[in-house]
Formats: sequence, C-alpha cells, structure tokens
Amino acid sequence: MTCSEVQRVLPEFLDDAPDVRIQTDFEAHLKSCPDCSDLVSDLKLISSEARQLATSEEPAPRVWARIAAELRAEGLVREPGSTGPMLVPTSPGRRWSALWLAPVAAALVAAGSYVVNHRPTPPVATQQATATPVTSPAVTAPAPETPAVASHSVPTPAPQQLAEKSAKRTDIVGPSAGPAIASAVEPEPSAEDQQFLRAVSTLAPSTRATYESQLQAVNADIRESQAYLDRNPGDPDARQHLMDAYQQKALLYQIALDRIQ
Amino acid sequence: MTDPKQRITESEAIEQAKQGQEAAFEVLYHLHKRRVYSLCLRMVSNPAQAEDLAQEAFLQLFRKIGTFRGESAFSTWLHRMTVNVVLMQLRKKGLPVVSLEETLEADDEAPRKEFGTKDLKLTGSIDRLQLQRAIDRLPPGYRTVFVLHDVEGFEHNEIAQIVGCSIGNSKSQLHKARLKLRDYLKFMRAEKAKTG
Repeated sequence: MTCSEVQRVLPEFLDDAPDVRIQTDFEAHLKSCPDCSDLVSDLKLISSEARQLATSEEPAPRVWARIAAELRAEGLVREPGSTGPMLVPTSPGRRWSALWLAPVAAALVAAGSYVVNHRPTPPVATQQATATPVTSPAVTAPAPETPAVASHSVPTPAPQQLAEKSAKRTDIVGPSAGPAIASAVEPEPSAEDQQFLRAVSTLAPSTRATYESQLQAVNADIRESQAYLDRNPGDPDARQHLMDAYQQKALLYQIALDRIQ
Repeated sequence: MTDPKQRITESEAIEQAKQGQEAAFEVLYHLHKRRVYSLCLRMVSNPAQAEDLAQEAFLQLFRKIGTFRGESAFSTWLHRMTVNVVLMQLRKKGLPVVSLEETLEADDEAPRKEFGTKDLKLTGSIDRLQLQRAIDRLPPGYRTVFVLHDVEGFEHNEIAQIVGCSIGNSKSQLHKARLKLRDYLKFMRAEKAKTG
C-alpha cells in the first residue's frame, strides 16, 4: 500500500469500521512509514483533544432572562394565571382561531360601504339621539354600535371636526396609540368585538391595553360618524368619514391578526 | 422534592410550549443550552458573542416551534438553526484572518506539506488554546463539520441533516478539516520554536 492509498482510506480507518481486507496492508504500511504513522497519530490526537473542548460551561442566566423577556414581548407565552383560549401564533390549527379577523376586517369595509351608500333618509319630524342600528343584510360584519341614549344634548361634531379628531389620534399602527375618545356610555361590545378582545387577551398586558383602547376609540368614532350622518344624510363628507372609520376598524383587526400570527 | 418542570419529557415540553407555556420553553432551553452554547462558542471563540448567538438560535426556534412536526429529532432541528445563525454571523463578519491555506500550493490530494522539523511533530500533546486558535482559522464550512463531529459528538448522518449535505460530504469535510488543523498546529509550533 502506498502513502497516497493510505491517505485515501484514512477517513474510513479513523471513524468507521475499516474494511478487513485492506486493514492488514494498512497497518503494515504504518509500521514501515513514519510519516504516515505520524499522520494517523496526529489526526487521532486532534480528534480526541477536540472532544475535550466540548464545554461544560453554561451560558449566563441572563441569556434565559433575555429570551423569556422577548417571548413575553412578542406574545408567545401565556401570562401566568391567565385564562381563556390561548392563541399561540404557531401551529396552523391555532392560527385558524385568529384568521377570522381577516374576513371580518374585509366585511367591516364592505358593511361600512353599504351603510354609507344605502342609508335610508331618516324621518325629518323627530331627531332623537337614539337611532335604530342599521344592519347590513349581505355581510356578517358587526352592526354599527347603537349610539348612547342621550338624555342631555350632546353636540354632534361636523365632519371637519370629526376629521380633525381622527387626524389627532395617533395612527393605528403598532402599540403606540393616542388617547381613547371618551364616550358617555360604552355600549356592550358586539360579538365580533368580543372575539377580538379574546384574541388579544393573550398578548402582553401593555399591548392588550393598547388594542382595547384603540377599539374603544374607533367604535366611538363610528358612533359619532353615524350619528352625524343620521342628521345629515346628504352630506358626502359625513359618508366618507363613516367609511373611513370602518376602514380604521378593519385595519385594527388586521394589525391584531398580523401580531397574533 | 423534584421541580415539576424537570419531570416532563422533551415531547411534552414541546407540546406545552406550543400552547405558550413559559415553563415549557424554559425546560427546552435548559435541556439544550449547553450544547447550543458550546457549538456557538467553538465557532466564534467569544463567550459574549456565543451567548448572543445562542439566544438568537433559541428565539428563532421558539418562534417556529408550532411548525415542528417531528420529522427530524428536535435537537437536530435546533442545531440546524444554531448553525444557520452562526454561519450568518460569520458571513456578516467576513472570513477569518488569512489562513495558512492561502500559502499552501499543494493540492488537497497530494501528500501534505510538512511544517517545522520532525522533532516538532504533533504527537504527544496539543495545547487546547492553540487547537481553538487553529479551529478559528478553518473556513466556516470545515469548521462547522469539525465542531459538530469531533467537539460535539454528532454522527455524520446527523451532521448531514443539520448542515444540509450528504453523509459522504460530511466525512470528506471532516477529514480535510483535520488535515488543515494539523498543518496549522505544526506551523504554530514551528513559529513558537523560532521565537524560543
């Protein structure tokens, strides 16, 4: 066996079970060739010494602390003691429970469009603060919130004021949000809103609170816009503003969906 | 009394982690932290950087844990992610300092060049610090296979899954890595002998 042949079969002899047919020749060559013998010894030594490098050291405790903090920040872990359905944005089965947000978001826009474009002219005789909710027969979007029953007169803002209010509100993107628009009385959340609130309940508390306040704000905006449109059905700005409010709500649902996924 | 967290199996921890249970993530972390950290440390030789890489590897794993279907062993999946994280980091930093391979004219198939005299042959003992320095000089591909096999003890079939190569390729890379390490170590010894 030559030196080249030895080097060719060397990996087999170092790590695998060597072919017995060539083992005799191989060992005989090593006995007669100091260079190849040294080579084999050196490679065995490197391999055995390398194993000693496998560290028994552990990463510092701060590594786990940072990982845990990041998991919580990303909403990947359940808050200790939290109850309710867990929406872990992991397995497809679990993602399904958050995917309803997408079609509802789309339906919100469609419903808004329907409401804006097909609202019947309200009776002129009496303009009560309580308006009957308009439901869209064609979509499954939530019905517009019933405005608060006002026993006192609440001045209804003009479209420009509504637009200014929306412009002042921080853009509904991410956790930084503007202050919620206070309502005199918060109506009961719709079924879809309740589902939305359950979906975000698994997020970090600060993030959850942001989504909740954003939902309140956008619902209040929808109520105000509807109320104004009820009184001014022919006002195109009022229609557009209501449409914008529905789109804002749809955007909020979509952002939550992206976060949960 | 045994910590309840420690009594669950790895597969139970995986399922619970999919449910978002922080304790389950922690179990998985503690089960694999040493090996992941060791791999990172051997690849980059810097404890602080190794911690950052280990952290990133675990985070990527936990983000994707819902997609784990058990087609491969969990540790194989984890180490594949770790290798990817490390190699990405090495790519960002560029190749290691100029290594001896640029001075070698010999073909890989030819008999090895000898550095230093026969009196400085490698057999006997190896300084571990020098060995680590030599490993640092290896190209990332060789370094990965060498660290996974000779340092961490993975088999070639596991390495093939982790790295995404054939078993034969893994064996070939390992052999070449060892040959290069031998050359580097002999060169270091020769240099040391010169300086006294």
